[in-house]
Amino acid sequence: SNHLHASATIHGLPMGGDPWANATVIELTNPVERERALLELSKKREQYEDLALILWHSFGVMAALLQEIVSVYPMLSPPNLTAHLSNRVCNALALLQCVASHIETRELFLNAHIPLFLYPFLNTTSKTRPFEYLRLTSLGVIGALVKNDNTDVIQFLLSTEIIPLCLRIMETGSELSKTVAIFIVQKILLDETGLAYICQTYERFYAVGTVLSNMVNQLVETQAVRLLKHVVRCYVRLSENPRAREALRQCLPEPLRDATFSVVLKDDVNTKRYLAQLLVNLSDNVVTTN
Amino acid sequence: QGTQTTGANSVPLPDENLLNILSNVAPYINYIPLFANQPGLRKLVNLTIERAIQEIIGPVVERSVTIACISTKELILKDFAMEPNEEKMRNAAHIMVQNLAGSLALVTCKEPLRMSMVTHLRNLLLQNGFTESISEQAILLEVAENLDLACSIVEKSAMDKAIPEIEENLSRSFSDRKKHRERSAQPYYDMTVFSSISRYMNSLPEPLRLKPSGLLPQQLRVYEDFSRIRMTNQPAPNYEDRGGVRGNGIHRGQDIPLQYPPNEISFDNSQIITAQQNIERFTQ
Repeated sequence: SNHLHASATIHGLPMGGDPWANATVIELTNPVERERALLELSKKREQYEDLALILWHSFGVMAALLQEIVSVYPMLSPPNLTAHLSNRVCNALALLQCVASHIETRELFLNAHIPLFLYPFLNTTSKTRPFEYLRLTSLGVIGALVKNDNTDVIQFLLSTEIIPLCLRIMETGSELSKTVAIFIVQKILLDETGLAYICQTYERFYAVGTVLSNMVNQLVETQAVRLLKHVVRCYVRLSENPRAREALRQCLPEPLRDATFSVVLKDDVNTKRYLAQLLVNLSDNVVTTN
Repeated sequence: QGTQTTGANSVPLPDENLLNILSNVAPYINYIPLFANQPGLRKLVNLTIERAIQEIIGPVVERSVTIACISTKELILKDFAMEPNEEKMRNAAHIMVQNLAGSLALVTCKEPLRMSMVTHLRNLLLQNGFTESISEQAILLEVAENLDLACSIVEKSAMDKAIPEIEENLSRSFSDRKKHRERSAQPYYDMTVFSSISRYMNSLPEPLRLKPSGLLPQQLRVYEDFSRIRMTNQPAPNYEDRGGVRGNGIHRGQDIPLQYPPNEISFDNSQIITAQQNIERFTQ
């Protein structure tokens, strides 16, 4: 409890002492009050540093949040999710994101395999706003898990086939969803086991390479610089694997080789450097100089 | 996988349990008018449903039950760490694991079942010479008519298999409570869980804390709520109307779009399971 109060008073209000927050967490376990409690707590979640700990360790709260998740499964196929219900489940997801972000609850959250209950949301394809919002918020939870580089998280994600779900969203999602999805893939690639996993078979490399290449071609049109940054980082990381590097020499999209993106990257020194790095890594006649 | 084939032409028998389920389901199969009056076509529809279910049910149920049991176990152990009564714990675990396993199985099996049924029906019609008379549209309609029925079988199977699995996963916790009661009158603590929770306990507001006397009825209610009927798109869920048990019944007459995008993306080829492997898994 000492630790709880120490961290709480540094970064935010100590929740244990906030009657409003306590009462609202309690309301999460009551189906009649839950909807309003979800809305209010998710709005104010940033204000309470120890909210994740309270959510996890309080009786019944995680069970109640899981109930919220599975109760919308019947609306996924055929796609039939109202804006109202999407908002409600996204508020529950926002609280789960809180639990996924906190260093002291992340592992518990993973051990209980709760992220897997979000995969059916990521697997939806409807383009309507309620579904876009649902996918984006679910990706946010996974994004919060990978934010702090943690091998256990990567291991969990690799063993549960998140990559194909992310790849499809990278191809067909909204720009925001694409950005979060590629962020997750990038984090997986930056991990040693993640890179090895993706480069282990040609099929895996090809699946990732194809989606990245399609994204580059779309980016020529959209010029979305945030997305471009992630794409370049992913390519640089792939080029650090010998087999992937060999393959990329053949299949790196032309717009990354020429000056297509020089204007959009004009002020982005970092990404320009990564792009240069990528081209050096792929140059055919690498002469190792001492 | 080291699969042992029992000869290329032998048809593996599904387990008795599934055969039983499938025969019980026969009276509920729907036929569109085109199929209804021809016994030959009706038979092909029945065979289609049977084959599609056999193909999908094994891996879907296995995965759903595994995940549901892990989540249920972890949350139950945490929430019931100071609950001395193993029957309350068992009851909550059963309700939760059945709901989670059934929900996951249903949401996972729907699209694969639809695709499998369409493929099987198309092939069976071809093999039996119905090449001209039955349109693709009719195949899709006939499949849509029975999709919920097929899904409910997979869902039910997951719900059934989840019970023995969670019993096994929690057997230690149940017997520990019983032993403790026989030995002492002291409050029960699951020390493996409690030691990691205890440091937060004092910070938690009173109603959210576990108490040495065990859980209160309104706390147990959270778990009992897993058995409530599924949420609908209605704006305000009415608590008073929550009487019914979560439906594993047969829903009919829903509008199902015929061209729902197939879910074909799979990253790891080694995890794509062929129909043959499915059936083998099933017969083990």
